[in-house]
Amino acid sequence: MKQIQTICASLLALGLFAGLVFTTTRVHAQASKALPRTADGKPDFSGMYEWPKSSTGERCKCSATVFDRNKFAPLKPGGEPFFEKPNGDPRHDEPRNFCMPAGFPSGMLSANAVQFVQNKNTLVIVHEFQRMTRVIPLDGRQHREGLEPMFYGDPVGHWEGDTLVIETTNFKRWGLDDYYYSDRNQYRMHSDALRTIEHIRWKDNTTLAYSLTIDDPKTFTAPWTQDFEMKARPDWDQAGLYEYVCEENNRCPGGHCSQ
Amino acid sequence: MRALLVSLFAVALPLAAHHSFSAEYDTNQPVKVSGVVTKVEWLNPHIWFYVDVKGDDGKVVNWAFSGGAPGQLMRRGIYKNVIQPGMTVVVEGFRAKDGSYNANGARVTFPDGRQVFTASGEDKVPGEKDSKGDEKK
Repeated sequence: MKQIQTICASLLALGLFAGLVFTTTRVHAQASKALPRTADGKPDFSGMYEWPKSSTGERCKCSATVFDRNKFAPLKPGGEPFFEKPNGDPRHDEPRNFCMPAGFPSGMLSANAVQFVQNKNTLVIVHEFQRMTRVIPLDGRQHREGLEPMFYGDPVGHWEGDTLVIETTNFKRWGLDDYYYSDRNQYRMHSDALRTIEHIRWKDNTTLAYSLTIDDPKTFTAPWTQDFEMKARPDWDQAGLYEYVCEENNRCPGGHCSQ
Repeated sequence: MRALLVSLFAVALPLAAHHSFSAEYDTNQPVKVSGVVTKVEWLNPHIWFYVDVKGDDGKVVNWAFSGGAPGQLMRRGIYKNVIQPGMTVVVEGFRAKDGSYNANGARVTFPDGRQVFTASGEDKVPGEKDSKGDEKK
């Protein structure tokens, strides 16, 4: 009798375990299925998003997201100056006043809508601010050679499982982010040795996990990374991105307004 | 509509300016004027609207106020028809550093009390406090 009870208990436990495994697998499968994928099975990031944000970390007296100095690696002794003080020349102190580009990564963190358009071989990221457009090859090609340093650099992407990794190189020295809106003496600059690495993956059905690694050996002693999230905004699909042509009516270049 | 606009003001998403507020406008020169809208430029990188303001001496001055980018405002639900020529408005903002009759137009109040936050997120509103209770600088 005891033997029968033991067998029954074992069968019951086995059944519960099997049921749990089956249920868990099915939930995972459903969650995985629910995430949009391209025809070739890669995660599909196409859609509208809010700009990268972090729920913790440093804040700016502006609306843009800024890097958290607590994430920074130590500055390299004798390296490129990280802080650029204003000198009174608006072309130096805020080049965007003259419709100069925000550059990457600063422009990516600007508080405007972002659109991803993706196919097998290319991801295009368009930011509403200044209509920043990054065309990121996903076909395995290497970085181009012989280019002049650029505001937005030269990106290439590849997949590591369900995570898209984008490496961007060939930058010119430019503003790292918008922190100077908080402190005009802390115009944070990256050097022309900057290399950025972005990791993008679906965190859940409504949010992208977006991390940015700053590898700037002329400025910092080591690469450092900050994690952000990008909220999907399908409710912005209908409106799409609005046009932003800075030169159209830039009436106050450098603070000298005219009527 | 009134409730909508007031709530838009109350929860207006701060949005990035393309320009440097501190480079263009003087926080020591808050302005609050009343007048009639004469023209609206719903253009990038910032909207501009113009207001005829009658001074104590009876002289009319045409003030120019800048706001956010059209896309920023539209994503907040604020469209071009919110401010139209002929409307009477009260505008609060800060005067341009160059002393001209230019200013940032942060807050627009209509005769029925409706208010619209027309500026970029970095732009200030006179008397507005930050989260610490300090006046925004």
